Amino acid sequence: MNPDMLVPLLAAAVQSGTPILFATLGEILTERSGILNLGVEGIMLMGALAAFLTAKLTGSPVLGFLAGGLFGAALAGVHGLVCLTFLGNQVVSGLALTILGTGLANYLGTPYVGQEAPGFKAFALPLLSKVPLLGPILFNQDPLVYTSYLIPPLLWIFLHYTRWGLGLRAVGEYPDAALSAGLRVKGYRWAGVLAGGWLMGFGGAYLSLAYTHLWTNGLSAGRGWIAVALVIFAFWRPWRAVVGAYLFGGVMAFQFRLQASGTHLPSSLLLMLPYALTIGVLVFSSWKGKGNEAPAALGINIEPSE
Amino acid sequence: MRRLSIVILSLVLCCSLAFAAPKELKVGFIYVSPIGDAGWSYAHDQGRQAVAALPGVTTSYVEAVSEGPDSERVILNMARKGFNVIFATSFGYMDSMLKVAKQFPDVVFEHCSGFKLAKNMGNYFGRMYQARYLSGMVAGYMTKSNTLGYVAAFPIPEVIRGINAFALGAQAVNPKVEVRVVWTKTWYDPATEKEAAKSLLDVGADVIAQHQDSPGPQEAAQEKGVYSIGYNSDMSKFAPKAQLTAPIWNWGPFYVQTVEQVRNGTWKSASIWWGMKEGIVDLAPFGPMVPEDVQQKVLAEKAAIIGGTAELFAGPVTDQAGKVQVPAGRVATDEELLNMKYFVKGVIGTLE
Amino acid sequence: MIGLRVQKRREPLGWGSFLVFLAAIVLSLAICSLLLAIQGKPALSALSLLIKSAFFSVWAIEDCLVKSVPIFLCSLGVAIAFRLQVWNIGAEGQFALGAVGATWMALTFPELPWYALLPAMLAMSSLAGGLWGLVPALLKIRLRVNEIIVTLMLNYIAILFLDYLVYGRWKDPASFGFPMTPEFSAGGVVGTIGGSRINWGIAVCIAAGLAMWIFLRFTRLGFELKAGGENPRAARYARLSYNGLVILVMVLSGMLAGWAGFLEASANLNRLQSSIMAGYGYTAIVVAWLARLNPLMIALAAFLLAGLRVGLEALQLDLQVPAAFGEIMEGLILLTVLAGGFFTRYRLSLRSNP
Repeated sequence: MNPDMLVPLLAAAVQSGTPILFATLGEILTERSGILNLGVEGIMLMGALAAFLTAKLTGSPVLGFLAGGLFGAALAGVHGLVCLTFLGNQVVSGLALTILGTGLANYLGTPYVGQEAPGFKAFALPLLSKVPLLGPILFNQDPLVYTSYLIPPLLWIFLHYTRWGLGLRAVGEYPDAALSAGLRVKGYRWAGVLAGGWLMGFGGAYLSLAYTHLWTNGLSAGRGWIAVALVIFAFWRPWRAVVGAYLFGGVMAFQFRLQASGTHLPSSLLLMLPYALTIGVLVFSSWKGKGNEAPAALGINIEPSE
Repeated sequence: MRRLSIVILSLVLCCSLAFAAPKELKVGFIYVSPIGDAGWSYAHDQGRQAVAALPGVTTSYVEAVSEGPDSERVILNMARKGFNVIFATSFGYMDSMLKVAKQFPDVVFEHCSGFKLAKNMGNYFGRMYQARYLSGMVAGYMTKSNTLGYVAAFPIPEVIRGINAFALGAQAVNPKVEVRVVWTKTWYDPATEKEAAKSLLDVGADVIAQHQDSPGPQEAAQEKGVYSIGYNSDMSKFAPKAQLTAPIWNWGPFYVQTVEQVRNGTWKSASIWWGMKEGIVDLAPFGPMVPEDVQQKVLAEKAAIIGGTAELFAGPVTDQAGKVQVPAGRVATDEELLNMKYFVKGVIGTLE
Repeated sequence: MIGLRVQKRREPLGWGSFLVFLAAIVLSLAICSLLLAIQGKPALSALSLLIKSAFFSVWAIEDCLVKSVPIFLCSLGVAIAFRLQVWNIGAEGQFALGAVGATWMALTFPELPWYALLPAMLAMSSLAGGLWGLVPALLKIRLRVNEIIVTLMLNYIAILFLDYLVYGRWKDPASFGFPMTPEFSAGGVVGTIGGSRINWGIAVCIAAGLAMWIFLRFTRLGFELKAGGENPRAARYARLSYNGLVILVMVLSGMLAGWAGFLEASANLNRLQSSIMAGYGYTAIVVAWLARLNPLMIALAAFLLAGLRVGLEALQLDLQVPAAFGEIMEGLILLTVLAGGFFTRYRLSLRSNP
């Protein structure tokens, strides 16, 4: 591979990583409030379909993008209902949601396979795209990518510098103490689940409105699961999520470019790279981490008091 | 007396109508992907609609049937429900269809792209490589960078054959071209296919061809402002500025003929491999960017293929490693074509 | 102000819990009918067609039994891991590797008679599947790596590995280059019972199910498994450490899913090809949970969900219902049952706040 493939590769890494970034940030928000949502894959797919259909019906990609978020939040709301109201097991509920979301999206979307929707196109930001090296990589993308640049800093500010963010984190770490202090634990958790679902829906919408302008059954292709893994890699912090998402996007883009350059490695083995890397990343995180990065009350339902 | 004659007359009328009406046939189709994919299954479904237009024929289909034990059940169900002719349109249905064919000797089974036969089971396919060769010629004429990109799904013989035909066609008009192949390991996944196309664009390809069912690669080419070759059906509505042409399927004539033969009782099990002459494969109309003289040359070659004077895969055909696979002086046999496991020289890519 | 008060039940609900379960199923069927109506399909006749084609003929029952074999075995494995709260999502990959292991044996020793080859294939698939379960177990106990993600990623890797083998070194030279292994020799095929289409894999299921039931109900280790799941610290006083238990359940889990892979390859396909993967590993999770991780209930649930898949094909053929409808039903049933579990564990009463 020659050096002047590097810039296109990194630009492709950004594009490929953006849906994963949205989903990872959404899951971080949900998990910080103490709820484990394994339904990301199903939520992303539903978001992708909702965005696609809305854009197709209304002709507006922006409305489509918002619809993607809305339906993502709605589906996440089911998880919230089962876990927060009915105190169901969070792991199983998330898995069921993945199955349901995937099935629902494929079912409702089957008549639309092979059709195109109006989507977003890339455009270069005026001054910034001339910056050497970083310019063409970061600033010659479509509007959704630019939107995704705003979310990590906003999320970080929210979690660390706002009252609601601190409340959310408290609810995820010490729910009993938070309850005694007068915080509405269930309320914060609902907010975490719904807002997280909204971002995951955005991730799905990116796939059908910007990455391609098409719909197919199974468009998300496992990215939702990679997002769940990246949350752990990111130690539940927004900035590291950015690194993880682009790393993944890069691997996915890289293995194609390796093929295009004429490698002799069998493509099946190359296709394993993203998944093997996920495991590697998890092992690395667990090894390096102190073991207490996860929100302490993650995944545990709060029993009603007597 | 009058009433009796009316009854007798009505009976005679009914009987004559019954003899005059064409025999009712139920025809079933099994697809491996949703029919809306604008690709493989879509093309087959167009063929089914041609059959459905025949008098006395009802058709039905099941889509997105996964290959393997599930397909056996679907075919079995169709046979049990009294279907007279069943078409299975993907290679992976072969073993299942054979098993069911043995249990239902009165039903006619036809398997697409396979090689197993039985007394009541035939197989059929189209010489898509002829259309691929022509599309290769167009690509060879239109490329400026002499690098052609090919987004391919799975390394099975028909895909390999298509790539080789494309390469040979391009090389016939432009000996300097090279064809770079990227495998996606999926028939239909626009996101993956588009990413694969982008990777080829990054290494300098300026015409993107595909053996995939979605228009993803076409989108990538149009976005970059280069050319593309579609597949399965005319994909120009997805990429009007990019698509030069596309090798397309036209299954209607074959399906109609088969059903008529079953109806007449003249159907026999056979391995059918029709080509451009019979109309089962074709080239989509040229895009507006293809110059007149290129169109004329390609159409001339097409006429030669239909007329039987063109010789595709005529020796010497050398593979990537330099070994001569088809010696000079003869054309590759059907057997060699069906078994193709090598890439011709000028193709850059792995075979697995 | 009137409000709802939620209290944990002191005694389990008994018959009532079955009613709750039933209510959940009815609710999910109602939602499914709505979805059918959205797509313009006649809902009631669709559902009755579903049930009729799944269970109301000899062929259908045969089909269901054939399909339940892999689902049952995978579920059994998943359930045993879930009892310890080890979330094994990797049944799909363990299934794939089991099939690979059995295929290797069948291709390497085709001349062996069936009484030697079939047990050897079973052993190899146990080894391969068990190994694929061992890896996440080791990562979990040594490095505290989350098993949900690892098992899931190993699924993708296993399937790609299977593809690599059937496209490459194991490809049948007689198959015109298509990706499938050569057909297994007669010694490598698990046969059918009498003239039916049911294969002897059923016997494996019955044996495994009984063994598991006895193990969980009547052995000390089985009891420790249940205790360890509810409270990992309690397991420290048992004979086997918590870590040992994790390894045990994951290896067993992988082994059982591996057996399912062996049976599918040997009995149904008579060779290995990519299309052996049919999502049984994921359905197994639904089955295991619906059956409350109980081996006898798993048998019933596996049969019912196999029936769902069978009935669904009739819906496709007759009403052109998209194939994804089955996943919706599975997901909805699981979610409603999960929600319903609330009513069996807790009691609601009215409370008035002054």
